[in-house]
Amino acid sequence: MFKLFKFLKPYFWQVVILVLATVLQVYTTLRLPALMADIINNGIVPGDTGYIWMTGLRMIGLALVSAAGSLVSSIFAARVGANFARDIRRAVFMKVIDFNILDVKDFSTASLLTRTTNDVNQVQAVTIMMLSMLIRAPLFCIISIVMAVQTAPDMSWIILVGAVAILGSVVLIMSLVIPKFKIFQTMIDKITLLTRENLTGLRVIRAFNNEKLEKKKFMRTNDELTKLLIFIDKILELQNPLINIIFNGTTLLCSWIGISLLTKDFAYLGNMTAFAQYVTHVMISFLMMSMLFVMLPRANVSAQRINEVLAKANKIKWHTKTQGMPEKQPSVEFRDVDFAYPGAAEKVLDNISFRAEAGQTTAFIGSTGSGKSTLINLVPRFYEASAGEILVNGLAVEDYAKEDLIKRIGFVPQRGMLFAGTVKSNIKFGAPGATDEQVRQAAEIAQAKNFIEKMPKQYSSHIAQGGTNVSGGQKQRLSIARALCKEPDIYIFDDSFSALDMKTDKKLREALKPITRSAVVLIVAQRVSTIKDADQIVVLNNGKIVGKGKHLELITKCKVYQEIVKSQLSDKEYLAELKLAERSSHA
Amino acid sequence: MPKKTDVDKPKHIGASLKILLKSIRKYRWFVVLAVVLTVASAILGLFIPKLLGDMTTIAVNSYPDLDWSALGAKAILVIALFVGSAALNYGQAYILAVVSAKYTKDLRESVIDKISRLPIAYFDKHQYGDTLSRMANDVDVLTTSLSQEIADISLSLTTLVGVMIIMLTISVPLSLISFVVVPISVVVVGRIMRFAQKYFHEQQSTLGVLNSKIEEDYSGQIVIKSNSYEDDALEDFDKTNERLTVVTRKAQIFSSLSFPVTHIFTNLGFVAVCALGGVFVIEGKINIGQIQAFVQYVSRFNRPITEIASTTSTIQALLAASERIFEFLNEPEEEPDPEPAKTLEKVQGEVEFHDVCFSYIEGRPIIRNFSVKVKPGMKVAIVGPTGAGKTTLINLLMRFYEPTSGYITIDGVPIREMKRADVRKLFGMVLQDTWLFSGTVEENLRYGDQSASLDDIRRAAKASNVDHIIEALPKGYRSEISEDSDNISAGEKQLVTIARAMVESPPMMILDEATSNVDTRTEQLIQDSFEKLTHGRTSFVIAHRLSTIRNSDLILVMRDGNIVEQGNHEELLKLGGFYAELYNSQFAES
Repeated sequence: MFKLFKFLKPYFWQVVILVLATVLQVYTTLRLPALMADIINNGIVPGDTGYIWMTGLRMIGLALVSAAGSLVSSIFAARVGANFARDIRRAVFMKVIDFNILDVKDFSTASLLTRTTNDVNQVQAVTIMMLSMLIRAPLFCIISIVMAVQTAPDMSWIILVGAVAILGSVVLIMSLVIPKFKIFQTMIDKITLLTRENLTGLRVIRAFNNEKLEKKKFMRTNDELTKLLIFIDKILELQNPLINIIFNGTTLLCSWIGISLLTKDFAYLGNMTAFAQYVTHVMISFLMMSMLFVMLPRANVSAQRINEVLAKANKIKWHTKTQGMPEKQPSVEFRDVDFAYPGAAEKVLDNISFRAEAGQTTAFIGSTGSGKSTLINLVPRFYEASAGEILVNGLAVEDYAKEDLIKRIGFVPQRGMLFAGTVKSNIKFGAPGATDEQVRQAAEIAQAKNFIEKMPKQYSSHIAQGGTNVSGGQKQRLSIARALCKEPDIYIFDDSFSALDMKTDKKLREALKPITRSAVVLIVAQRVSTIKDADQIVVLNNGKIVGKGKHLELITKCKVYQEIVKSQLSDKEYLAELKLAERSSHA
Repeated sequence: MPKKTDVDKPKHIGASLKILLKSIRKYRWFVVLAVVLTVASAILGLFIPKLLGDMTTIAVNSYPDLDWSALGAKAILVIALFVGSAALNYGQAYILAVVSAKYTKDLRESVIDKISRLPIAYFDKHQYGDTLSRMANDVDVLTTSLSQEIADISLSLTTLVGVMIIMLTISVPLSLISFVVVPISVVVVGRIMRFAQKYFHEQQSTLGVLNSKIEEDYSGQIVIKSNSYEDDALEDFDKTNERLTVVTRKAQIFSSLSFPVTHIFTNLGFVAVCALGGVFVIEGKINIGQIQAFVQYVSRFNRPITEIASTTSTIQALLAASERIFEFLNEPEEEPDPEPAKTLEKVQGEVEFHDVCFSYIEGRPIIRNFSVKVKPGMKVAIVGPTGAGKTTLINLLMRFYEPTSGYITIDGVPIREMKRADVRKLFGMVLQDTWLFSGTVEENLRYGDQSASLDDIRRAAKASNVDHIIEALPKGYRSEISEDSDNISAGEKQLVTIARAMVESPPMMILDEATSNVDTRTEQLIQDSFEKLTHGRTSFVIAHRLSTIRNSDLILVMRDGNIVEQGNHEELLKLGGFYAELYNSQFAES
């Protein structure tokens, strides 16, 4: 929790004002019992009505000042607390957006979401409480003690008894409960995860008629959570009754001792009453602090979860300025590249070397787990190669400034992902400066023009969060248009055509040809038809390159490639392909 | 979008309070018991200052020979009172803790239940983040504050009334001073709180908006990174974040105003009591022990009012949260299943679409007058360009959506007259988007048939070529997987969903572009297993692959929501129409 307090730094002066206002409020509030003691001792006992009224007026004046102080401190507590939370939320958000893909997977999207919202809210609530109470309570406590001792020095040991009793009971209860809070938070996470699954898996759950099963699963966790919560509460709720006993016990003690100290003129009566009030204030401030300690563990768990995100260093470091001059002519080259997940023994990519030139299409094919997706993720540095060198336009990717590298790459991920906004805002996503004409062109090449123009507001049509109001194929085509609109040097299609039907796939590839004449195109594909025209096909198997060449070369030479082709064509077609290959090799 | 109205529309406190009360009806006797205990505990506590005052009076009257036995008797009574009061207080807290935990559980359960009963269309229109936020934030706010409030309100009211009575017995004129001051402060604080409520509500709904935004950005993070969109995303986030901050600030400030305001009134009353009380003592109307007790009661009298004042702000937040929860819980549900529902004795698998029309948005038909008859055991391939309405057909078949007009029959029985669950039970489904829940591979595979043995599961996994992949995982079939997990690839997840459908072994199959993610080498094997799976079963395949299409008994060629051609591969090629054009575009040399 305290680690997060560095976010309070910009609000230092506001906190100072807050503290000053609180001091004013506390001091004035605490002057009141002393004045009341005066009224009893100097007004009531001697029977001086004038003195009573005079002191009464002073009390009202003090009450007004105290209210003003309280007002100012409340306003600043709210301001600082809310701004503090805003800054943390922003820092977490920035961090997550900057995470590399592995980090996001480590935490899971659901957990990152809770950390950015719920956890920050917890921290905010406690901070606002701290700002008002944690400052007010000790002040109340200290000033009360000073004034109490002044009023009735003989009784001051009672304060100590009360304070120790309260502190003891709070510590006891907290030590029982704190360890449970962490478990509590992980279970809350699980509930969120299950709810999320129920939402994202809606269709599957219904298709399998498994609503009951899902509910059962949810209820199991829900039950566990409830049991834990009840356990925690049973202990926590002991606090109030215990404190009440201590409270009343102390007051009784005050009266008892006060009475035994009575002198003839009863002058001690006023002091005794005031003293009882001060002791009450001392204990109330301990109570306030203990309330804070009830919230603190929960907030502390939240703070830890936030810190985990903030502390995660992004292992991929970027230069702020590109080191060296990339060539004008686009190219991508891999030199002996290895990749393994951190801590994993097995290599996902093993000794990969190839070169892709401008105007060429290089395709990657291979079975699931062959590493083809990982390979292309290395180009925009979504992952970092474990060994070897990756060159973009002749310059190692590590030497680029982030923007310089990213602007050269149009990346189309496997799943079409869109953002809430309009069709246009989605296409212009990577190229904010694009004109309407460029947007239209990109859409046309991506074969998205037809359906866009059939939409009610065409390019201004609303796209829902996650693109849920367009079909999978449409999402994919808009993703492609988004990459095209950037007019990059290098196009990367990560199995991006699989959601398209054959006809659209074909048309799209036709339309891409003129655009990609001066660009490097890297395609990961499943269908042979998608890649058979590629200038270079790289066949991967278990992270190694097992074949490199054109379709007709590979079909005769590469066994893995042959198997792939065979699986997709009928025997007749396969034979025809083979014949073609033979003819071309003779020629 | 419900969000806008959430913020702008003034909320109906009465109505939402009524719904809220109804939802805790089940626990009403426990709540009543808790309230009784609170009241009893408060009443016991009330007599303490009076007894302490009595002690002072005894002391003053018997001075200098203090009557220690009388004082001791009073002191023991005081101890008995506060210990008893504390015990009752714990009893109440215990009950409320249990009730509130159970109530939270109930609410979460109703939300999950509701999710399963809402039409799919609701989720196609609303964002997940919003529902999630209702589930997490709002339920939390509602239940934690509810039990707190029940205890606080009953305690405060009892104290208020009790203190009033005791004060009146001590001195009527002194009591009247306090009684005048109090209502004024309550009215003023009430006014302030109305503002606070407005902002609390706005705070909750802005939080929902922010949640959705973050969820979108986090799940689309790769797109943001690959387009250098980080700064814009941050700017966008900043806007909502700032709005949330402003609203939070206002809500906090207004709710914290109640404290200083009440404080002023408290002190006014206090001073008046001291001054006037002093005069009364001088005049001999009351004695010093009484004024000592009275002052204590005045502070006890003010505390419940401060509490009630702060209560109002929590209640605002509570009602705002409850409104959002019950708004969700009251969304119109799927039309209930017909009663009595028709059932199929022995499923033949004859499926017929009769003049089916459908539109997602009124006036924009997606499917027009669609009719087709599928004979039992037929393998039907649905082909056509993207957006031709292929997925919609499946949505209708599975009753995720209902046709606008026309109807669908299975073995001559209109599916609308059957239970949804019974219709869905007839179909196995492999969707384009794989969906696995977090759990073991085994649990995921057993999803369609809980009674399946491990052998059944193995067999299905072997048939769909995923057995060796699963065995390669560290814990084999007991390995944990989930939608987010990266221990198996997208293609492998797809294989798992295929195996999952195989375990279920339903009379009919729906395959939605399922093979598009499966790697090419194993596809042949999968196709063989599909062949096995679809043998003798009516099956619908939304296919992109020619090999799938070629083996079909019937191909439905769709274009703009209509079947433009139907027949088998050879027939359609001979026809030389749209299908032939589609087919030739696939393997034609350029």
